[in-house]
Amino acid sequence: MDNELGTIETEMKRGFLQLLVLLLLERNTYGYAMVRAFSDLGYEIEENTLYPLLRRLEKKGLIQGKWELGEERPRKFYAITTAGREMRAGLLVIWKKQDEIVKNMTKEKGHV
Amino acid sequence: MFKNLETYLEEISYYLSGRKEREEIVSEIRSHIMEKANEEGPANEASLEKVIAAFGKPRHVAEKYLDGQPIIAPVFKRHLFRYTTFLFAIHLVFIIFAVIFRKSFIFFPFLFIPRLGFIESIMYLPAAFLTDFGIVALVLYFITSSNKEIKLPWPKFGLDLDEVKAVDGKTWAVRTASLVGAGIMLVLTGLGVHLFLKFNNIIFISANFKNFRPLLLPKPGQFVSLAILVMMAAGTIALFIKAFGASRRLACWVDAIADTIALVLIGLAFRQPFAFLLANDLPPRALTWMHTSLTVTLLIFALMVAIDLVKNLVRLGRRRLAK
Repeated sequence: MDNELGTIETEMKRGFLQLLVLLLLERNTYGYAMVRAFSDLGYEIEENTLYPLLRRLEKKGLIQGKWELGEERPRKFYAITTAGREMRAGLLVIWKKQDEIVKNMTKEKGHV
Repeated sequence: MFKNLETYLEEISYYLSGRKEREEIVSEIRSHIMEKANEEGPANEASLEKVIAAFGKPRHVAEKYLDGQPIIAPVFKRHLFRYTTFLFAIHLVFIIFAVIFRKSFIFFPFLFIPRLGFIESIMYLPAAFLTDFGIVALVLYFITSSNKEIKLPWPKFGLDLDEVKAVDGKTWAVRTASLVGAGIMLVLTGLGVHLFLKFNNIIFISANFKNFRPLLLPKPGQFVSLAILVMMAAGTIALFIKAFGASRRLACWVDAIADTIALVLIGLAFRQPFAFLLANDLPPRALTWMHTSLTVTLLIFALMVAIDLVKNLVRLGRRRLAK
């Protein structure tokens, strides 16, 4: 049961994490800082999942990455693009709709 | 420079070979690991080891970047074994021909079946199967890569074990038929054994047992009679097991063993020089006609048995292979 729950959770997280990244990138930031930010919000992610996702979003033109060498070690900072903002708005609409459906259903059927 | 970190990154880089952004991916992972390892004081080999372990195994990490198209689309996976089976059945028939006729067969560029002895042909079978598997996989790979809406045919050939109802507990009619068949076969085999014990031969021209006239000379006649009796006995046992047996798997095993015995005996029968078989003088034209018809009959029989053998082997191995 736990194993199955974990599998479904991974599937659900796949889309959700994209939305979270686009929301977080209202301010430019880098990978490790994102992991910390998610963790502070109580959302733990597999670290090795974030970087391939950032790469995919960058390829789609939703975010833009830039290496900064100024500090003690090089860091790749990401920023949201105009296309990314549009996508974020669309994803938020979908998310709110889904959230509403689940709330209504749980209220009607008396689920936990 | 930390040795364990560099080794780890080199391994990830190895699995990402061929991707132009490989260096950048590795740099970003290095930056992340160093950042985390420096959280509680300056990084050292021990702290890096912990962070590396948490980040995941190199292959697992690299695979997350390689989310490309599958080699064979999921919808075509079931075709892989079905088509391999079909191709292998054809291949097997030509292997049998290569043994019987002592000739090689070339179907450029797909198949090459060398001239084989009996033992060599057994050794050749796994290589033949792997070749067929590779050819089918390659074709399915090209279809997958083309990204076109292609609907491949799904030939059944009665290969699915679930479709084999011969020994299903509910099908009493089939069970009874097997039992009746087994009874008839038992009587015929018994009669054959009786004749063999009495005359050392079961193939004769005249049904007059007071003046027994065998068709074949004593030595080849004895061999061919024994071969036929063994095949009949194997068939009888197979029918009895199928009539009383409980599982479909067992029925498949029994059929496969009976088919193998039959194929071996047919192969041995082909080795007999025909011109020296007959006990009676026949005109040359009749001899040629007889030789041709016997060869064709045996070949058709061998083909049927070979197809049945492949079907049974696939039924038995299908689930294991799929796993």
